[in-house]
Amino acid sequence: MTAVPQRPSGNPSGRFSRRSLLRGGLGAAGALGIAGGLSGCGSAISAGLVGSQLDPGTVTYWNLFGGGDGSRMQTMEATYEKQKGPNSLQAATFAWGNPYYTKVSLATLGDAPPDVAVSHLTRQSNLAIAGLLEPITEDMLAMVGLSSSSFSPKVWEALAVNGQRYAIPIDTHPFVLYYNKDVCEKADLLDGDGNLKEIRGTDQWEAALEAAKKVTGSWGASVATVGDTATSWRWFQSLYSQQTGSTPWLGDGGRKLTYNEDLTIKTLDYIQSLTKKKLMPAITDYTGSQTLMFTGKSAFYLQGEWEITTAESIDGLKFGMVPVPTLFDQPACQGDSHTFVLPRMNRSEDQLKRALGFVKSLLDQSLTWAQGGHIPAYVPTLDSQQYKDLKPQSNYADAVNSVVYDAQAWYSGSGSNFENTVGAQFGLVQQGQATPAAALSTARDQLLVYADTKSPL
Amino acid sequence: MTASTLERPTAPVARPSAREESDVRRGEARPAWLFIAPFGIFYVLFLIWPIIYMLISSFFNTSLVAKGFGSFAGFGNYAEMLTLPLFWESMWHTIFFTIITTIPLVVLAFVFAILANRVRRAQWFFRLAFFVPFILPSAAIAIVWTFIYSPSTGLWDSLRTALGNPAPNPVLGTPDLALIGVAVTTIWWTIGFNFVLYLAGLQDIPRELYEAAAVDGASQWQQIKSITIPLLGRTTTLVVLLQIIASLKIFDQVYLMTAGGPGTSSQVVLGLVTDTAFTNYRVGAGSAASVLLLIVILIVTGIRQLIERAQNRRAA
Amino acid sequence: MASQTVSDPARPEQTARKHRSGVSAAAPPPRRSEAQERKSGQVFTVVSWLVLIVFAVLWLIPSLWAIKTSLTSNATAALGALPILTDWKLTLGSYGTLLAGGDIWNWYLASAITSVITVALTVIFGSMAAYALSRLRFRGRRAVFLAMVLGIMVPPQVLIVPVFAELNAVGLLNTYWAVILPQVPSVIAVFVFKQFFDGLPKEFEESARIDGASFWTIYRRIVLPLSKPVIAAMSIVTFVGVWNNLILPLFVLSNPKLMTIPVGLATVQGSFGQRLSDIQASSILGALPLVILFVIFQRRIVEGVAGSGLKG
Repeated sequence: MTAVPQRPSGNPSGRFSRRSLLRGGLGAAGALGIAGGLSGCGSAISAGLVGSQLDPGTVTYWNLFGGGDGSRMQTMEATYEKQKGPNSLQAATFAWGNPYYTKVSLATLGDAPPDVAVSHLTRQSNLAIAGLLEPITEDMLAMVGLSSSSFSPKVWEALAVNGQRYAIPIDTHPFVLYYNKDVCEKADLLDGDGNLKEIRGTDQWEAALEAAKKVTGSWGASVATVGDTATSWRWFQSLYSQQTGSTPWLGDGGRKLTYNEDLTIKTLDYIQSLTKKKLMPAITDYTGSQTLMFTGKSAFYLQGEWEITTAESIDGLKFGMVPVPTLFDQPACQGDSHTFVLPRMNRSEDQLKRALGFVKSLLDQSLTWAQGGHIPAYVPTLDSQQYKDLKPQSNYADAVNSVVYDAQAWYSGSGSNFENTVGAQFGLVQQGQATPAAALSTARDQLLVYADTKSPL
Repeated sequence: MTASTLERPTAPVARPSAREESDVRRGEARPAWLFIAPFGIFYVLFLIWPIIYMLISSFFNTSLVAKGFGSFAGFGNYAEMLTLPLFWESMWHTIFFTIITTIPLVVLAFVFAILANRVRRAQWFFRLAFFVPFILPSAAIAIVWTFIYSPSTGLWDSLRTALGNPAPNPVLGTPDLALIGVAVTTIWWTIGFNFVLYLAGLQDIPRELYEAAAVDGASQWQQIKSITIPLLGRTTTLVVLLQIIASLKIFDQVYLMTAGGPGTSSQVVLGLVTDTAFTNYRVGAGSAASVLLLIVILIVTGIRQLIERAQNRRAA
Repeated sequence: MASQTVSDPARPEQTARKHRSGVSAAAPPPRRSEAQERKSGQVFTVVSWLVLIVFAVLWLIPSLWAIKTSLTSNATAALGALPILTDWKLTLGSYGTLLAGGDIWNWYLASAITSVITVALTVIFGSMAAYALSRLRFRGRRAVFLAMVLGIMVPPQVLIVPVFAELNAVGLLNTYWAVILPQVPSVIAVFVFKQFFDGLPKEFEESARIDGASFWTIYRRIVLPLSKPVIAAMSIVTFVGVWNNLILPLFVLSNPKLMTIPVGLATVQGSFGQRLSDIQASSILGALPLVILFVIFQRRIVEGVAGSGLKG
């Protein structure tokens, strides 16, 4: 099914009317003597027993932000609540990744979704195709003074699902290069302003790593190789996409594997050569790869920009951030965007306006959000002087234009089976436990199972 | 024996005998069915119908987000699961988990019970220590243990650092350790169940046997070896089999502590089922995985029946 | 049929008596006067004490650690194990935060409502079915029995996918009923009740029959009043099981205000961020009602659990 199903209006046909069924059930509840106090006993009880609506005047909002993102989001939520009064917002944070998307999907199916939810750009397409999201129209945006031109064109373009938009973007979060300024200084890798000299091409990259290694005595750069499939995928995808002739990994909504085999092998060979030459560690996990850079045992560290919060919390660490260096033909880095979506539900005009008003309030606070490393998608913030003054965040703002999003498929997107499957194999390549050809062939076989499976969307 | 004999309800040995069955009394059918009806309705709605639904949808491309059963898939879902590396990986994790939890859970529970039975005093204290965790929610347990395991700052890593390992591998973050970490938590959490089963079994061994053995000059160890262990044989069989079945259904601890990770290194079958059905929207494929798990559980249950029947014959 | 005897949930007073008689036998009359024999027994007892206490303490550490952390400030708890251990400025701040804000009261409410209603329905319907199987002779009895046996072999966890689909189809997701209804048909309860009824004397019932009492009257006025111990045991065991159930409410309840304690603890932990003390306090608060239950009904819980084979 490729067409986006029409949003069912009113009660989904073919289903019992939920209210009437529950009212019927109320008789049974009364028999048990529990209906007596229903009216006075708080909204949760009546919602739980007879399906009445919870807190009609409140915006409910779900997100998946932990750590630094989580606390920044809470600050932004508090600002909204301060403007709109107490009980104007109920926010809930769920565990990142699949558990979160499962919760959003099941809640929408069960007629109890939040008014607004966060979704990765690469995941909203599947939610939209599954018919779980409201389309976002220009009219709706206009209700709160927004329009499609309020957002980075590149991101707005990438949001399209069958010509429609279902999400409002707040940021882009690319895979970037962190560098330890003290180490780089000693390795003579900084320019006069104390910023990293531009690195271009594999020769310069390896030379920089060699120089850094002499200083650190351990490694030139670090990237997670163990226990974190997403990072292995991000590192590969960034380098792969820098090469002319690279094609998206999946095509036709995931039914076809469309990667360029030669370039894949070449990229994996290169990644492995870096660990084989001991320029980068073959065995290190997510936090381990950070610690190496933080403690000066490596000059560079590759990860999403969100780890800026962690890096800032390290006492005495001087660090900078730049886009992933262009080692091959063109700039490119793997990335994704956070967006706000409106799960499918019956909404009154008022509810819709409240929900969009909340989104607008968060967009207005994009600068707060950008402090966490994310590149604003909201143009007024992106173009503001305050953002340009935000360092090192604005140093990689250009990465927005070279971000490569994961290809759409029912099994793809951030934290998905696709990333897990491919990333697990590529991790083995980094560790030196599999040859590029063997890893690719295993990944391919595993992906073919998904590709050959009928899409559930 | 003073207590009335309660057959293990999970061991349906109390089947009505042929004599009873032929004893159909007039006028009792109507009230009987009326008595059974309320339970029966729930039984059909939430046990029989789900089984039927699961079987049907396992042969279809049923989607969570579309109406109806979807297109016919034949044995496609089963073929997919049986050729999916992750399915076998999860199955292996489930079995591995079963092995590494069952042995300590049986041995430790046995030892604790023998010792507690021996000292006899302060029973409430040992019950508090060993049994209380068992009745607590898995979610609370997972929070406590995830904190203990938290990398570098947690109690466990701090202990290892203090013992001279400057950078211990994070238990739940290392592929080879994650499931072992979950297993240790599970042993801590559920040992109380086996503990009380063994205590109950021990209290049914007549004291006279020990006294007679003591008269014959048997040492404590000899008494345990020749009286306690053999007479607890049936309890042990029961404990082991219940343990295996419980471990095959493992979901809570893995979902809560590792969510099957890192990567898929601690994924178990029930986790795969819910991931497939709810995260990937593939109810049909998830149902097929469920059916396969159910078959394994039924086989183990069947083996249990056979063993118990053999034991009953020997006892008779 | 010879069968293994485990503790009988229905007869705690008898088990207790058995237990007490055991205690009296704990100081065995020194029939054998050989001092050596007694000494080896004493050594064994001392070793038993030592080993048990070491393990019991080991077993208590995780809980004590969680309690200690929950009584420490969030700032200290974030510093790691040693600071938690050495900081003895205890505070109830985390409990205050949780009880003052957040959804924990709603979670308690959801757990209490779903557990109590499920217990009521399970005990009433289960005992009714058990009464029919124990006392009434009718065509199809064997079939009903076989169905029960089948039911006991199918763990409810395995049925989570179809049960979800069913609740979705009738629009009951995100209501307490989605948690209550699927847990009502507890085959174990029927078996336990039947075992108990089978052991009750039948004389009263037979004379009541002769006096023209209906089966319903007999069940209500004679059987149930005699069954208080087994009703109590099954109620507690069912309560614990429903309160602790994770997988069913996890997938059928999405609204944080309607979640039961385990689901609430499991899903919205993320919002605590680095507030480690608060997280541990939430776990303690989630466990507390069951600990209280245990303190009150200690023996009945232990024996009910052992007798019904309740196992995650």
